[in-house]
Amino acid sequence: MLFQFFIPSRPSVRAYEMVVDWTQTIAIFTLLVGITGMLKYNLEKVSRKKSGYGYNIVTIAGVLAMALTGLIWGRSEGTPFVWIFDHVQSPMQATVFSLLSFFVASSAYRGFKARNTEATLLLVAALLVMIGRVPIGDFISSYFPKIANWILDVPSMTARRGIFIGIALGTIATSLRVILGVERTYLGRS
Amino acid sequence: MNFWQRASSIDRRIIFILLFIAVVIPLIFNFKLPNRVTKEVQAVYDYIESLPPGSVILMSFDHDTATLPEMTPMARALLRHIFTKGEKVIGTAFLAEGAAIGNKAFKFVSDEFGLKEGEDYVFLGYRPEISSAILGMGENIARVYPKDYRGVPLADIPLMQQVKNYRDIGLIISVSDNDSPNAWINLANARYHKPVAPAVTAVMATTYYPFLQEKQIIGMVPGLKAAAEYEQLINKPGTATVGMAAQSIAHLLIVLLVIVGNIGYFMLKRRNA
Repeated sequence: MLFQFFIPSRPSVRAYEMVVDWTQTIAIFTLLVGITGMLKYNLEKVSRKKSGYGYNIVTIAGVLAMALTGLIWGRSEGTPFVWIFDHVQSPMQATVFSLLSFFVASSAYRGFKARNTEATLLLVAALLVMIGRVPIGDFISSYFPKIANWILDVPSMTARRGIFIGIALGTIATSLRVILGVERTYLGRS
Repeated sequence: MNFWQRASSIDRRIIFILLFIAVVIPLIFNFKLPNRVTKEVQAVYDYIESLPPGSVILMSFDHDTATLPEMTPMARALLRHIFTKGEKVIGTAFLAEGAAIGNKAFKFVSDEFGLKEGEDYVFLGYRPEISSAILGMGENIARVYPKDYRGVPLADIPLMQQVKNYRDIGLIISVSDNDSPNAWINLANARYHKPVAPAVTAVMATTYYPFLQEKQIIGMVPGLKAAAEYEQLINKPGTATVGMAAQSIAHLLIVLLVIVGNIGYFMLKRRNA
C-alpha cells in the first residue's frame, strides 16, 4: 500500500485493490468469529446454569431474533426486523444511555470537590465549559461562550495535540517492532 | 445535622428527581432560548451552500441507537439543507446499527421533499472494516458496495452512474458518536484530498478541534447545540431547538449542585479544623 501511494501505476493499483478487497473479506470473517465466540460463551453459561444465566438466554434470544427476522423477512420498512429495531432496540439503548445523565449529575455533585489546585482548575474549567456551551450561558453573559471557546481552543487543544503526537509516535514504534519481528506476542510468543 | 452537612450530602434520589424536572419542564412547555451560531457550524453550512446544485455529498452514519436523540436532529437538519439545495446524497454506514439508522433518516427526510431513491439519494448500507472500505471507495465505490441497501446493483442506479469514486463527490459528512471521522480525515482527506465535516456528539467535539484549527476538516457540527444552530440556519426549528432548553437547564442545575456541594465541603472543613 505504501508502494502504491508513492508510485501509482496499474500493477500497484491492482495490488492495492486486491489488498483492500481481502481486508474486507477477512473483516467479515472476523465478525463471524466474534458472533460464534459470543454465542459459545453464552450457551456455556446457560448449559452450566451459572448465576445470572437468564441474561445469557436473553442475549442469545436477541441475537437469534434479529438474525432470523432479517434473513426471513428482510430489512425493508414494515418488516419484523425494523419493528424490533424501532420498538425494542432503539428505546432500550437510548434509555440506558440517558440514565447516565442522572448518575453523572449525582457523581459530579459528590466527587467534584476543589480539594487541591489541580482539582480546582479542572472544576472551574468544567463549570465554565458546561455553562458556556449551552444557550443559557450566552443568555446570562456573553463572556461565558467566549471563555468556554478559549478553554476548548487553547488549553484543551494543547493537551489533545500532545495526546495525538504521543499516540502517533507509539503507533509508529509498535508498527516498526511488528514489521521488524521484534514484537511477536501477537503470534502467541513472548 | 446542620445546614452545611445537609448541603454536602443531598440524597442522590433528590438529585435524580431535580434533574428529571429540569429536563421535562422545558420539553413540556416548549421553552426556546436564543442560540448563537458558532463558526464551525456556520462553516459547514457555508460549504454546502457553496456547492453547485446537483453536487454529490457522501454522508456516513457511524453511530448506534444509544445516541439517537443527539444525532438524529443533526442528521435530519443536514439532509434537509442538502435536499433544499438540490444536491444528491450517498449514504454509508460503518457500524451495523448505522445501516438501519441511516436508511430511516433518508426515508424520513426524502418523504418531506418527495424525492426518489436511486435518483436523488442512494443508501448503500453497512460495511465492516472502515479503513479498507474508505480506501477502496477512493478507487471504486462499486467494488466496496456492489449493491445498495435494497439489494439493487449499483450499475442499475441512475445516481451511481455518475459517481465512480471520491473524484465525483463534493463533501464527506461523518455522522458519528465514535472516532470514525478520524478514518475519514486520515484516509479520504489526507490521501484523496476530499473535504470532510464531522457531525459528532458533544463529548467527541474536543477530539476534532485540532483538525479544525489545521483546516483538515472544513467545519464541524458537534452535539445537540450545533444541531439546534443548524436548525436555526435552515430556518426549520426541530427537536434540537427544543432540546437545547432542557439541556441548558440541566447544565445549570448540575453547576449549582457542584457549587452547593463545594460550599458545604469547605464550610465543614473549616468547622472541623
